[in-house]
Amino acid sequence: MLGVKLAYRNIKEAGLRTWLNVAVLALTFTVMVGFQGLYSGMLAQSSRAMIDDEVAGGQYWHENYDPLDGLSLEESHGKIPEGLTEMAKQKKATPILIRQATIYPAGRMQTAQLKGIEPSQTILNIPSNSLASAEDELPVLIGKRMAKSKNFHIGDYVTIRWRDMHGTFDAVEGKIVHVMNTQVPSIDSGNLWVPLEKLQKMTVMENEATIVVISQDVSEYNSYAGWQFKNQAFLIRDLTEMIKSKRISSSIIFIILLFLGMLAIFDTQVLSIFRRRKEIGTLMALGMTRIQVISLFTIEGMFHGVLALCVALVFGMPLLFLLSAKGIAIPKVTEGYGYALSDRLFPVYSAGLVLGTAILVMIIVTIVSFLPTREIAKLKPTEALKGKIS
Amino acid sequence: MSIVKIKGLVKRYPIGGQKFTALNDIDLEFKKGEFCGLIGPSGSGKTTLLNIIGALDAPSEGNTVVLDKNIEKLSHKRAAELRNHHIGFIFQTYNLLPVYSVYENVEFPLLLLKMPKEERNKKVLDALEWVGLTDKINSKPAQLSGGQCQRVAVARAVVKRPELILADEPTANLDSENSYNILEMMVRLNKELETTFIFATHDQKVMKYLRRKVHLVDGQVAKDEIINKGAC
Repeated sequence: MLGVKLAYRNIKEAGLRTWLNVAVLALTFTVMVGFQGLYSGMLAQSSRAMIDDEVAGGQYWHENYDPLDGLSLEESHGKIPEGLTEMAKQKKATPILIRQATIYPAGRMQTAQLKGIEPSQTILNIPSNSLASAEDELPVLIGKRMAKSKNFHIGDYVTIRWRDMHGTFDAVEGKIVHVMNTQVPSIDSGNLWVPLEKLQKMTVMENEATIVVISQDVSEYNSYAGWQFKNQAFLIRDLTEMIKSKRISSSIIFIILLFLGMLAIFDTQVLSIFRRRKEIGTLMALGMTRIQVISLFTIEGMFHGVLALCVALVFGMPLLFLLSAKGIAIPKVTEGYGYALSDRLFPVYSAGLVLGTAILVMIIVTIVSFLPTREIAKLKPTEALKGKIS
Repeated sequence: MSIVKIKGLVKRYPIGGQKFTALNDIDLEFKKGEFCGLIGPSGSGKTTLLNIIGALDAPSEGNTVVLDKNIEKLSHKRAAELRNHHIGFIFQTYNLLPVYSVYENVEFPLLLLKMPKEERNKKVLDALEWVGLTDKINSKPAQLSGGQCQRVAVARAVVKRPELILADEPTANLDSENSYNILEMMVRLNKELETTFIFATHDQKVMKYLRRKVHLVDGQVAKDEIINKGAC
């Protein structure tokens, strides 16, 4: 307790020097928590959007389906297993048929994916009910990115050419009936959503699908011959990896900030020991052991960390929690980042994140505070009393 | 009763690859209640001898026993304990802790002794009363005059009632009036508490108060002079 009391008095008297160190450390702590919270929020928000709009509770993939291989798409279709058909009837699953197509926006030939989905499905959070049209023409649902890149508007017609199961080319004029505002680029860019039944007829693939999306309420997954089940974790793994890699790259900022904070404390400690040699000698003459003096100076250094945490909790945390409540407006440019971001990003600050970062900062501050104090162990009391360093 | 017994003490310092002998073959004995001075010019070894007696430094050779503790055999921790419990220091430049108030400076040795708060408070106020600074308890050293600072240093040295007080040129930075006041106070403490005082000094103002003068010349005892046999 004596060391704590003395250390507190000493750093209080150090005035501006103390507060500069505290400010740098508090900023470091706040930025670290802020960035981590931003990535946690990004991951949570993107994962939620992907799960709601694309992944749901998991997907059964036709055994030939490989989303990374466009050429294999021709062979990636099969009869929907009976068990999955039953689930679809109970609104626990929704089949999707995916076919390669060609469109001609502004007279240019471009590839696209035709995705047939049941208009009445409720498994995925996409406005498929807009496809429930009684008209003869093919209703087409697209995303905002697709609309923007191809300059499509509601009511526009798009020429779609595809090949049926036998390889025969056919074409139709599809009518854009809705432009959906989705955060998930993989169901948006290059995607034309059409009614499943119509696509099955167009491709002569009656009762066939490429994938079957399962409701999030389903917890048991049966095996079906020719179909492979892919769970949520697998389906969002790319996103998780991307966020993880961005989190790692952001740690460079933390390292720089931490380094600045460490440098400030290290410098202060070295300067303290240099300037206060006479005081160190006096403390020894009054009966303090070297370990007590080293502890005193280390505690003084650690107090910077404690004060920084207090300052960060008082000033930084309310700011961060305000940001987490109000969200941060995301510029449009991030649409090209390749993962789902909504217009506002809501950072997530868990107790673990705040506590973990606080512990990390305190450990580093303690080490940096202690290292220069080893000089005291070499100090002879008589030399110290004269103000010399041995 | 002997407080300090020194036999064949030698202290050498390495200076520029050579060994400089600061103290050479010192034999001395100080008894309880003495009011003595180590007298000599600069470089005669006064402060070195005082530092060794105060367990702040170790001898190169010989035997130094302070309060039954063999100085050369003491670990850093034991030496600190000896200083903490039994020895008070008074320095030429006061060496007060600048961030603490007068009260806290005087209280500091008692905090190290882990003394209960009430007892501590009483002893601090008693010590400050001794030196006549009860009206300055909340002042910081920077707000005090040199004389007042040295009185705080005296209070800090005596507050734990040590058997031995070592004073290194305690009046060197003080004017005649302050020197007189400080020395009168020390004499009073010596008489009333039977505290042993050993000074390192070449100040004439101090010398006339001493009851024993140990003259050091070039690190050796040139003369051991008892002024008042009855008192020493």
